[in-house]
Amino acid sequence: MSDNLIDTSGLSKSYSGSPALRGLNLAVPRGSICGFLGRNGAGKTTTLKLLLGMLRPDAGQIRLFGEAMDSEASLIAARRRIGFVSEDKELYPFMNVGQTIRFTRALFPGWRRDLEEKYMELFRLPLMKAVPKLSKGMRTQLMLLLAMARGAELLMMDEPTSGLDPAMTEDILRALADLATVGQSTIFFSSHQLAEVEQICDRVCIIDQGQAVIDGDLDDLKSQYRRILLTFDGMPPSALASLTGVDHLRQRGRTASLLAHGNVDLLVDQARELGPTSVEVRPVTLKELFLDHVRGE
Amino acid sequence: MLWFKAWLETRWRFAFLAGSTLLIWLTPLWIPATGVHTSVPAARFWMVIQLASVLLFIFTAIFLAGSGINTQGMYTFTPGFHGSMLFTLSLPISRRRLLFVRAGLGALQTCVLVVIMVVYILHLRPETTSVLQALIYLTRTIVCTMAIYAFSVLLLCVLDETWHVSGAFLFWTIVFLLQSKFDWVARVSPLRGMSLNCYPITAPIPWTPVIASLALTGVFMWIAVVVVQRKEY
Repeated sequence: MSDNLIDTSGLSKSYSGSPALRGLNLAVPRGSICGFLGRNGAGKTTTLKLLLGMLRPDAGQIRLFGEAMDSEASLIAARRRIGFVSEDKELYPFMNVGQTIRFTRALFPGWRRDLEEKYMELFRLPLMKAVPKLSKGMRTQLMLLLAMARGAELLMMDEPTSGLDPAMTEDILRALADLATVGQSTIFFSSHQLAEVEQICDRVCIIDQGQAVIDGDLDDLKSQYRRILLTFDGMPPSALASLTGVDHLRQRGRTASLLAHGNVDLLVDQARELGPTSVEVRPVTLKELFLDHVRGE
Repeated sequence: MLWFKAWLETRWRFAFLAGSTLLIWLTPLWIPATGVHTSVPAARFWMVIQLASVLLFIFTAIFLAGSGINTQGMYTFTPGFHGSMLFTLSLPISRRRLLFVRAGLGALQTCVLVVIMVVYILHLRPETTSVLQALIYLTRTIVCTMAIYAFSVLLLCVLDETWHVSGAFLFWTIVFLLQSKFDWVARVSPLRGMSLNCYPITAPIPWTPVIASLALTGVFMWIAVVVVQRKEY
């Protein structure tokens, strides 16, 4: 049996004929922290909603914890093991912090009082304060507490740190990293903050126009990909684009920038034969990988 | 805890409607002081109260169905607005259960207000009423009110609350107008089941509208469940 907590194959979803996901294949192994990246409208929130059963796929399959999500019963069983933080961080406006915690606790038999106390202390949330009076940061913290204290094996979060100040973002990232290492939870979160994804994730999935363009271990990706900068006396030759292993080619004046993966040494040898005046090979950052794949430059 | 949540969500609207109902109870206290009571025949007076009560039942059924629902988005189709609905839907609870608890509490609250009002009507009624007659009257009023309530729940599954209120009032106004034109509408209308046409209280039970109301309640709730289960957020 697969050890992936999330497995999707050929997942498709359209809104009024406009495709949001086009055959998404996604795999999130147990114990990983997976960053889910993409531009606005790439299909990140749609994917999360499909995984939780808020939307129904037009085609494709979803497996959570190794089980096919093909009935409401299977979705409910999966949701017992999932903590979710939505993008808008909306909770019940007619409850205070204490009531919200008590309400959620009652729905999860595996509720961890120790974690509840730990995060109450860490986040310093006022029990009697009404939810509408909480700042966005405090609402995020409360949602994280609710997600983490339920003893979830899988945390799904839609831009958990959006709108937070850097100090609070740091606290939350630490709490997540701690949960993954000590609590052995699997974390799957969407974000626009590449730096924070690079900081805590060991795995990344980049989605563009409803399809995964990169999905893999972050360190592996970084070791597989290289940026090759070539400078020529004149315009770079068009043959560069047809070299094996070139993912993206960008030209600016006499300089060509190649994003390459695979056998980079062989590629460099082939590029040298085209007569560049200088060749520079650099490691790539997540930001470069992201921009090259979603902008296609 | 779902019931507790539903109560927290609906308590202020329920309190407002209960307060309004109890205010009606107080009318006899000030009517004698103004002298109105002496100039209006008692039978006419309590019939007016009955008519007002029918309107109040409709009002209560419509407003308690929507109590707190719009802000939570459990039913609403308002595009791009989710409120805390995404949090609710991420919990290990079936949509059917969510709907039943929320609609169930609203139904209970509606019943409480109907009981208060019916007791008041029976208290005002000039003739004596047996316990059996009172129970029959109460039961048929609750059954017919529930049909109106169930329709409101169904409307809330497809409309946001602003349109739901207008839509419900429009629908029942049309039913009211149609029942005076078409006999078959009158025979199955919940409004007829609780309207002046069925008074006095000692009249035979209007079986057809009562049974039709029961059936309509079931049908409306069944459609509401189907809509909520198929809905995408």
